[in-house]
Amino acid sequence: MRSDTSNAHARARIAEAFAEAGVTGLLHARDLDTGTELAHGADTLVSTASVHKLCVLTTLFRQAAAGRIDLTRRLDIPAFGRTDGPTGLAAMLDAARLSLRDLAYLSIAVSDNTAADLLWDELGLDAVNGTMADLGLTRTVAVHKIRDMIAALRQDTGSGSPVDPAVVARLRVLDPAFTNRSTAREMTALLAAIWYDQACPGEHGAALRRLLGLQVWPHRLASGFPFDDVRVHGKTGTLPTLRHEVGVIEYPDGGRYAVAVFTRATATSITLPAADAVIGTAARLAVDALRAPVG
Amino acid sequence: MDLLRHLRYFRAVAEEGHVGRAAERLRIAQPSLSQRIQRLERELGITLFDRGPRGVALTPAGRLLLADTEEVLESTARLLGTASDLRTGRAGTLRAALPPDLGPAAVAALLTRFRAASPGTQLDVRELPVTAVARELTQHTVDVAIVRHPCPAVGLAFGAVLHQPVGVLLAADSPQANRAELALADLTGRQLVLFPRATAPALYDEMLTTLARHGCAPAALVDQHHGSDVARALVLTGTAVALAPRTAPPPGTVWRPLVGTPLTWRTSTAWPAGAGGPAVGLFADAAQQALTDPGGLLAEPPNRPLFPRPATEFPL
Repeated sequence: MRSDTSNAHARARIAEAFAEAGVTGLLHARDLDTGTELAHGADTLVSTASVHKLCVLTTLFRQAAAGRIDLTRRLDIPAFGRTDGPTGLAAMLDAARLSLRDLAYLSIAVSDNTAADLLWDELGLDAVNGTMADLGLTRTVAVHKIRDMIAALRQDTGSGSPVDPAVVARLRVLDPAFTNRSTAREMTALLAAIWYDQACPGEHGAALRRLLGLQVWPHRLASGFPFDDVRVHGKTGTLPTLRHEVGVIEYPDGGRYAVAVFTRATATSITLPAADAVIGTAARLAVDALRAPVG
Repeated sequence: MDLLRHLRYFRAVAEEGHVGRAAERLRIAQPSLSQRIQRLERELGITLFDRGPRGVALTPAGRLLLADTEEVLESTARLLGTASDLRTGRAGTLRAALPPDLGPAAVAALLTRFRAASPGTQLDVRELPVTAVARELTQHTVDVAIVRHPCPAVGLAFGAVLHQPVGVLLAADSPQANRAELALADLTGRQLVLFPRATAPALYDEMLTTLARHGCAPAALVDQHHGSDVARALVLTGTAVALAPRTAPPPGTVWRPLVGTPLTWRTSTAWPAGAGGPAVGLFADAAQQALTDPGGLLAEPPNRPLFPRPATEFPL
């Protein structure tokens, strides 16, 4: 087990990086082979935003592994009545027909809100919470699907601007007591279960891990690991002032690390590259600390 | 027995010297009033009145107790009045915090307005930077504040946001002082006085981003509040210029607006969420008015479109 002092140094540097980027940040990292951990506010509940899509996908592949769902079944997706969002089916204009597993791909690759809600409608809210409870993640709870989260966001924003500090202060979707929630520690525990084949056995676990490696966003977790031979899997989550990503980093020497980083920025700007990048910076500091030779 | 109510009846009968007239004044039935006085006498074990054919007269014991009764009723009225003042925000202690650079005129108007709205309240005012004030509000060591945004928002509620254009404070004898307004790019190569980052990191970063966007590359940044002696001396000697909201410029300096108002500071009142009592409300109202006039802050933000990027993940 690593000594507390080396972790204390890494934790101080992580706290400094968060402050430098103008965010408050929470982090949990775990070495998937030794079980060594690094925690910084890892048990504080947070509003998960799109990170919760990972729980939906885990449930989907878990039910497929149990033979209860056929991932090649195709859904008709009409052009109207879609959950709103800036990517994927949520942004597309025409009717489509896609398999459940391709909807899963869109949910991860571009965080497609429509695709995620179509899957969520198939599974039901309780099934997703049930999977988390089965895995012992009792603080990971969904209370609504993406469309209801967006409806609450719209209702609270009203005619105000989403970058007005007074408007942002009243958004209920930022409050973990109101919306879908989890902790950094439970998210790395979920990733560990996925990587250990405990969440979705066999080929279905491999299929889910493949999807997490196909996420297109380079600006958060991946930005901390600018190495062609290091593989980054992840799922982001974003709401006004919230920027999150949870994922697994795989090194060529076999080292595997699950990391969850949740941030909340002071600035209300929609575009805040420093706040995105610090997710990678903090994750890298944590992984470097876990990889450091025991002194 | 409701002693206070019975003491009020006792006082009324003593003042009128007649149960019937007292009952009329109290708007209750005479027999009921008589019974209540008898009940009070039983409770105290004292005969308060001598009953005669033309009315009632206080006994010597009744006279002594009337003095005490008046005292009790008066202090009760005082207690209820104070409670009402506290409840409605007209009395008490309010701990308030203000950011630097609101301008003395705005702060004076705020204090005057608040005193008029809440004459009984003792107002403790401090000047605090945004990082400190957000912390103190969440710890409830400050009741209400005026904050400059971006301000950490967890656990806080905010009043309407006002906008304060930022301009340039420079030496009156510098060549640029002759111009009615300056472009941010004109400040390239100058030393620029800007508050220390630690006092408001998010606003500091926002300002640097805006400077760069408008082609302003300062030679150096001086981490000083522009009102400090060092900052004033640097500006006065032409060594540096300061970014500051419109202010009565110190002798030997002038303030010039920036072309197109590229820099604005956003300001609002703030208080702990769920702890916005009446005094906080009165302070927030007074602040809103004083900051607008004479403070010169604007209610309307510069109208800028928002273009979300796909990575935003939620629709705008």
